[in-house]
Amino acid sequence: MTARLSYFDKQQLEFTCMKLSTLAAIALSLAMPTLASADWSKIQSEAKGQTVYFNAWGGSDATNAYITWAAKEVQTRYGIEVRHVKVTDTAEIVKRVQTEMNTGRTTDGSVDLMWINGENFRNLKQGGLLFGPWAEALPNWGLVDLRKPVRSDFSVPTEGFESPWGTAQLTFIADRAKTSTPPRSASELLAFAKANPGRVTYPKPPNFHGTTFIKQLLLELAPNRAALEQPVTPEALAAATQPLWAYLDQLHTHLWRNGKTFPASAAEMHRMLADGELKLSLTFNPNEASNLIAAKQLPATAYSFGFSGGTIGNVHFVAIPVNARAKAGAQVFANFLLSAEAQARKADLSVWGDGTVLDVTKIPATLQAVMRKTAPGALAETVPTLAEPHASWVAALEAEWLKRYGSH
Amino acid sequence: MVEALRLTLDRQSRKRVCAGTGKDEHWLAILPVTLIFGPLLPGMYWALAPALDVAVWQSLWADSQWPQALCATLLSSILGTVLACGLASSLATLHYPSARWLALRRRLPLLLSVPHAAFAVGFFFLVAPSGWLARLVAQFAHWTSPPDWITVQDPYGLSLALALAIKESWFLLWVLSAVLGEQNVVRQMVVARSLGYSRVQTWRLILWPQLMPRMGWPIAAVFAYGLSVVDMAIILGPGAPPTLAVLIWHWLSDPDPTFQARGSAASIILLCILLVCAAAAHWLWRLGQARLSYPSGARRPARALRWMNLHTPLFLTGYAIVSVLLVWSVADTWFFPALWPDTVSLDSWKQTDWSPFWTTLWLGVAASFLCLPAALIWLEWGPQRFNVVLYLPLIVPAMPLVAAQYAALLHLQLDGTPAALVWSHLPWVLPYMILTLVGAYRAFDQRLMTSSRALGCSRWRACLSVKWPILFRPIIATMAVGFAVSVAQYLPTLFAGGGRFVTVTTEAVALSAGGNRRVLAVQALLQIALPVASFALAAFLPYWVSRNRKGLR
Repeated sequence: MTARLSYFDKQQLEFTCMKLSTLAAIALSLAMPTLASADWSKIQSEAKGQTVYFNAWGGSDATNAYITWAAKEVQTRYGIEVRHVKVTDTAEIVKRVQTEMNTGRTTDGSVDLMWINGENFRNLKQGGLLFGPWAEALPNWGLVDLRKPVRSDFSVPTEGFESPWGTAQLTFIADRAKTSTPPRSASELLAFAKANPGRVTYPKPPNFHGTTFIKQLLLELAPNRAALEQPVTPEALAAATQPLWAYLDQLHTHLWRNGKTFPASAAEMHRMLADGELKLSLTFNPNEASNLIAAKQLPATAYSFGFSGGTIGNVHFVAIPVNARAKAGAQVFANFLLSAEAQARKADLSVWGDGTVLDVTKIPATLQAVMRKTAPGALAETVPTLAEPHASWVAALEAEWLKRYGSH
Repeated sequence: MVEALRLTLDRQSRKRVCAGTGKDEHWLAILPVTLIFGPLLPGMYWALAPALDVAVWQSLWADSQWPQALCATLLSSILGTVLACGLASSLATLHYPSARWLALRRRLPLLLSVPHAAFAVGFFFLVAPSGWLARLVAQFAHWTSPPDWITVQDPYGLSLALALAIKESWFLLWVLSAVLGEQNVVRQMVVARSLGYSRVQTWRLILWPQLMPRMGWPIAAVFAYGLSVVDMAIILGPGAPPTLAVLIWHWLSDPDPTFQARGSAASIILLCILLVCAAAAHWLWRLGQARLSYPSGARRPARALRWMNLHTPLFLTGYAIVSVLLVWSVADTWFFPALWPDTVSLDSWKQTDWSPFWTTLWLGVAASFLCLPAALIWLEWGPQRFNVVLYLPLIVPAMPLVAAQYAALLHLQLDGTPAALVWSHLPWVLPYMILTLVGAYRAFDQRLMTSSRALGCSRWRACLSVKWPILFRPIIATMAVGFAVSVAQYLPTLFAGGGRFVTVTTEAVALSAGGNRRVLAVQALLQIALPVASFALAAFLPYWVSRNRKGLR
């Protein structure tokens, strides 16, 4: 039969086939949203009645109160019970998931959703310990601002294995009553520490804020910043960190307790700043100082500032472990966290003041206004954002720091 | 407590107790104990097996933090124990027997019921460079910012040692008062004094040689606690590097298996330190005794020691700690160098998160109610010669035990469940309860049991309707102790609870790293309130139950 077909017939047939496939493609693409929404409603109905254990850092009252609010909302809207499991270090959850998988607990895990980014994400993704991809199929994914680094986490592609939640940027805090002109770069910081011996310090790495501070210095001092975007090698580490260690060797002699010991956390530094024991504190939330003033944990004269060359910033995410029990519930909760309403409330200075990952133009005007609120103490200037080094640098930097300064 | 320890070591009493105990009831008594302690054995293997590799020990040896961590641990635990012993023994030497000693004894329970974590928080509020003491000095020295003092979190763990010494001296005083109460010490003192020996000489030559062997186990418990304490060390201990126990805790919860193995290896080291130090202390004591066994007989004139007033500062510290917590809990804005808060408000109390409180409450109630029947049945039918095995959790560093518990729970896939959480407290609650109850239990007048058996009651029935009701007062006190022990547990709650359960203890420690001192003060006060309430209840209930039973009062 094929042999009997004329050239024209063949052409015709091919054309028809092409048309058909195009039509099918168009039809399919038209059907996609409905198919997706069918999938989503299936997920939603599956999620109803589930209990989602949300493992998230619990060191801040504002964050905890926000999570409590979000949990209450999804309980009434979707019938999902979210329980906030407060952790002090996200690495603990990574370990928990690993241990559970190693002991053969592959379906009934204790963690359903976790607050994560950077190195912990890389560890879980590399180990195949994450469920997904799911994030880009969320209905609210359409609102996300793709110009922000929401698809790459410390230079590791997210590939839909985690859903963006908020943005953060390293910000310093000082007290106007005691410090009128703050240091604006690494070299000014050194001069400031020399002028104020024993009144400057940073949290001890591997504390998250401490490591971020070290990375900030590394970004400023490294001879070749592009090398930091690649996975770390011993040679690259040695070459890039040489000026950093030289700087720290100098800086440490002028630090609080001569750099022989360090505060455990940024929160402890806020307390010491409030009492005048320190002159600088640091945070990863540009609005935290205003929250702390409102909570009477900092004097009203406290203010935020950044380095003029920019400070390190990143996006934080939520991810679902591969052995999670309530995967559907976790997705519905993650989708709620991405909604315009939840994101606006999170960005509200009087609630938490965490930066949004949404495209502000895509959300209702009333909510936009909430996001643009400001308050005394919050970061009032525009500080350029510096991208995080590749996730593999964190462990290498922390190990090297501990080796050099971990013991006095 | 000491009575109990003595009895377990006393061969005579063993035989007497075991006689007449049926084999079946034996098993009945062993079963709950096995359920509580059994899973620890395979857990111990799972938790410590990774340390069987030579490479692990090499990596531990090469770690830059561990030598100093070991140094801080040794210093804080040895110094803490020695100071606590010194404080307790000099107080006894100075004041026993006297009205002052009785007053001291009366005040002890209140101070004893302050949990370690809350004590550490209060101690921090007192002595930190921005603490109350520094603020007091600042009023006169016109400081505007806190002094550059290293009063807490010092590199050698000295502030931790001091806090441990004060807290544990109360415990040792309590044990001492129990030991002193049980025998004819006063008579011996009178004889010695009438022969012309001074008070100090009497204690050194006559009393301590008799008392010390009984104090050995409690002192070992104090030392083991100091070695493996994590909650106090986080609050008061050094940071770079932390004490060994904190370092082990970090390693055991590290995602990297090589670090976990290093944690296992280091927890074996903790065990070895305990054994070596206990052996060394025992040997030193024997040596000292051998040298001093033939004293010269020279009498020393009694010096007036009235000026030595040790107990006032000791108790003042306790009261100051509770007061500073109270003031912080109602402070509004209170920055250095203000001695008192600028404004006072109840906001912190109104906004208190009560969920840790309720979790602690049901957990403590569940643990003490589960352990009570186990303890009673064990004391009635259990093979008492194994009591010393039950007491092991009290004199072994907690770290390896908690690791074993966690490994066992992971294998049973029970971690993070309420049942696992309750179970994780039992290995500490049960021994403390047996220890508290055993003295009163042994002292029970056996003739009452004989009479009821003669009247036809089975042993069960006799226990249920005669023995246990008569022992109501010590039993309820025992439950209060069990509850207080459960409230204070930090590591088991953290590991077995999988972070899902927040108690006042874990909350207070977590908040201590944060900045909000008012919220921290509230949680620390709640942590104190729970055991105090349970002891108050234990004091009141027997009174109420026996209101119309004269013989029970």
